[in-house]
Amino acid sequence: MDLVPQLRRAILAQSLPPPSQSFLTTLTTTRSPPPPIPSLLATAKARLLASDLTNTSSSAIIDPSAPVFPTNIDAAAVKEAKLAQNIHTQVIDIENLSLSRWEQVEELEAIERGERTRGRQVIRVVAPEDGETDADGSSAAQNQASSRPAAAPSAPATTGGANAVHRLVLQDRQGKRVFAVELKRINGIGIGKTHIGEKILLKTGAFVARGTVLLTPETCTLLGGKVDAWHETWMEGRLARLKESVGADRP
Amino acid sequence: MRVLCVAEKPSISKAVAGHLSGGSFSTHNTRNKFIKNYSFDFDFGQPWGSSSVTMTCVTGHLTNVEFTNEYNNWSHPPPESLFTAPIVKNDKKDIAKNIADQAKYARLLVIWTDCDREGEHIGQEIVDAAKVGNAAIQVKRARFSNVERAHVLSAARRLVELDEKQVNAVSARIELDLRIGYAFTRFITNNLKHLGGPLADLVLSYGSCQFPTLGFVVDRYFRVKNFVPEPFWGISLTHNKEGKQVRFSWARNRLFDRMTTVLLYERCLDAKKAKVTKVQEKPTRKFKPLPLTTVELQKAATRLLRMSGQQAMTIAEGLYNKGFISYPRTETDRFDKGMNLRALVQKQTTDQRWGPFAQGLVNGGFQQPREGKHDDKAHPPIHPIAHVAPSALTYDEGRLYEYVTRRFLACCSEDAKGMATDIELQFGDEFFSTRGVIVLERNYLDVYVYENWNNTTELPKFTVGEQFEPTEAMMTEGKTSAPNYLTEADLIALMDANGIGTDATMAEHIQKIQDREYVATITRGNDAAEQGGDDEEANGAPAARGGGRGRGRGGRGRGAGGGSARGGGRGSGLKVFVPTQLGVALILGFDRMSFEMSLGKPFLRKEMELQMKAIGEGSTTRRAVLDRSIAQYKQVFLQSQEQVGVLKQACREFVFGQRPGGA
Repeated sequence: MDLVPQLRRAILAQSLPPPSQSFLTTLTTTRSPPPPIPSLLATAKARLLASDLTNTSSSAIIDPSAPVFPTNIDAAAVKEAKLAQNIHTQVIDIENLSLSRWEQVEELEAIERGERTRGRQVIRVVAPEDGETDADGSSAAQNQASSRPAAAPSAPATTGGANAVHRLVLQDRQGKRVFAVELKRINGIGIGKTHIGEKILLKTGAFVARGTVLLTPETCTLLGGKVDAWHETWMEGRLARLKESVGADRP
Repeated sequence: MRVLCVAEKPSISKAVAGHLSGGSFSTHNTRNKFIKNYSFDFDFGQPWGSSSVTMTCVTGHLTNVEFTNEYNNWSHPPPESLFTAPIVKNDKKDIAKNIADQAKYARLLVIWTDCDREGEHIGQEIVDAAKVGNAAIQVKRARFSNVERAHVLSAARRLVELDEKQVNAVSARIELDLRIGYAFTRFITNNLKHLGGPLADLVLSYGSCQFPTLGFVVDRYFRVKNFVPEPFWGISLTHNKEGKQVRFSWARNRLFDRMTTVLLYERCLDAKKAKVTKVQEKPTRKFKPLPLTTVELQKAATRLLRMSGQQAMTIAEGLYNKGFISYPRTETDRFDKGMNLRALVQKQTTDQRWGPFAQGLVNGGFQQPREGKHDDKAHPPIHPIAHVAPSALTYDEGRLYEYVTRRFLACCSEDAKGMATDIELQFGDEFFSTRGVIVLERNYLDVYVYENWNNTTELPKFTVGEQFEPTEAMMTEGKTSAPNYLTEADLIALMDANGIGTDATMAEHIQKIQDREYVATITRGNDAAEQGGDDEEANGAPAARGGGRGRGRGGRGRGAGGGSARGGGRGSGLKVFVPTQLGVALILGFDRMSFEMSLGKPFLRKEMELQMKAIGEGSTTRRAVLDRSIAQYKQVFLQSQEQVGVLKQACREFVFGQRPGGA
């Protein structure tokens, strides 16, 4: 019966969001005899990463005592503070601050028309059978994309170079949202790479300046995952949001 | 034995006759006043030996294809029947007869048409005409790429076969252009005529190259028109040391968010001191240009010499016909190793302007040109064949010849060399850098006056680990600016990258869409200033990387250091293309029809162009390509017919200014 603590240790060892007791109990008791630890761990990981951290119902799978943002985290008057503990968050939004919004609008519109440009060359993009772009596909689709760049209509090419700067909106377990900016480039972050609902662990000592978390590879861990429904909605609304933010939505 | 030689045009006929005969030939008039028959003796070597030669020529294509008379009416039979209607060949009778007559007495026919796809096809037309007079005549082809004496003599003694695959490729192209062009032209004209107004009496011609070309112009027009400027912010650092001022640029370049920039800026200021993290001095170079292709020649002529692409091609053609430069239609950007380039350089040593430079190359400065990736296996890159004094040329001929020659000498020279110093700083969490360049050897730049490379201001001495308080750290603000309308060079580059037209015909298509009043040119004012807003000027010396390597990139190879010599010239009077309302209506009309491949896009034509190539390489046949392309375009035709309302609506909107839905 020490399966639950054993599983919890395994989960925490991977820096995953701390699971609730009820979640662990359900996991370990639904089947008898219970599956071996590695497979339990894999199931738990998948569920945790795909979950909404802010879910507080009785079936919540996140430990309700897990750390959250300090209350004054978004205080613009505070020049610099450090996080006092590890905090698990989820991605609500991502923007590339190095590209003009209009540039991104033009690219998205081209993709909508079934085109893509490579240098001066206009390439016709043939949509795959199911008509879906990259809302799905995760890493597998991206690997494919790189192996046959001409036809794959997946992520825009603008995921960002070595000096791209992205700004995320991160949310803690209690639903509090803060901006987070790449102080140093983190390769795993990018439009088309980062999914909405992806989990990010902010580590103790991470800087917060003027209400914005400063991300560096040392102070944050990308855990992966996504909330499918959110990501899809985000993808669908991206063009409209970009247009709105430059005022191009008005005729 | 008697031999009949036939060239593609009178000038080549005369030049070749002159070389083969050693200058003594007798001239006979024909029924066509432009065409002479020259008679002389020449020894072709084995197996033909000494022969009595008649040299004559055609004037470009000898035949043209047409629909039969039943198809003269534009509405009946309906235009779509043209995809399968019978076609007939007509030839230029007097010229064909001259060839047939001369062939009667000859045992061998030698084709001297230009060595490219079209030339191969014209060669076949000549063969057909000759066989009318003498079915048993043997056929050979002379392979040559300029009309310099030694080259012509050697071509005459190394005759080859006519390439039937190329002939087939061209004949497929001709048939497709005829069917597709006629069908769509009639379809568009018939349908839009009813809208009245300016459309009532217009012939709205369609061409499978014209439309995508127009599409590029329309596309850019809307990109300019729809553009929304956005503010951006950055951090700029200046430091004064040893009486010198250095400006460092921010590694993040610019951010489209003020708050974030303020935040990062504040952290810089808090850090007070910047630390030097890297000081690197290393040799750098600015690459000499690649050997000259047709596309690059046209781009350069429009950009640097302010000619139109078509003008440039006509002038280049004239220079070639007179034997001053090599064949100007080539995709090749690498010289064959066996070519004696030094001898060509030697010929330029007498020139007043670049003679001393050429002499320097002859005296040991010569370097083998860089090699590009393209080789059409027919012609070398464009280069001067003989030296010609400017007094013997018209003003424009002189300028184009000068460009070709300076480019060639630059190719045979050495890269410019310099020393670059890169300095990187860390200031708080932010990184900054600057680069200083000192030009040590100008080399090719001395003759290639179209490019420049300047010293940056000299940098003071910095050492790694050194810390200092920057003299000034400022937050800067800027605004994005709209792209420019397409210049002819831009348009050529787009056509090239997207496989629209061959390098030889691009200029014609561009002229055509102007003649049809689908596009107009306007003169661009001084745009040089606003370009700088896009942060292009900071890069003092990516010269070593930039500089138009390979095709499809050259357009932007304006060299580094924005404000230098050419900055002034660039702003004044550069022609740019904008679509007319009719042009916009046609492209949007087809774009808005909801089928897969709009005629305004390059995809269909590109595919056709690839098919032509495939015929030439023998991987497919003329018949297969015709069947496939005709089926494809016919499909598009039928879809267009179904949705012709969309096209009409676009015309009402743009040509008549009616709002959608208002009619």
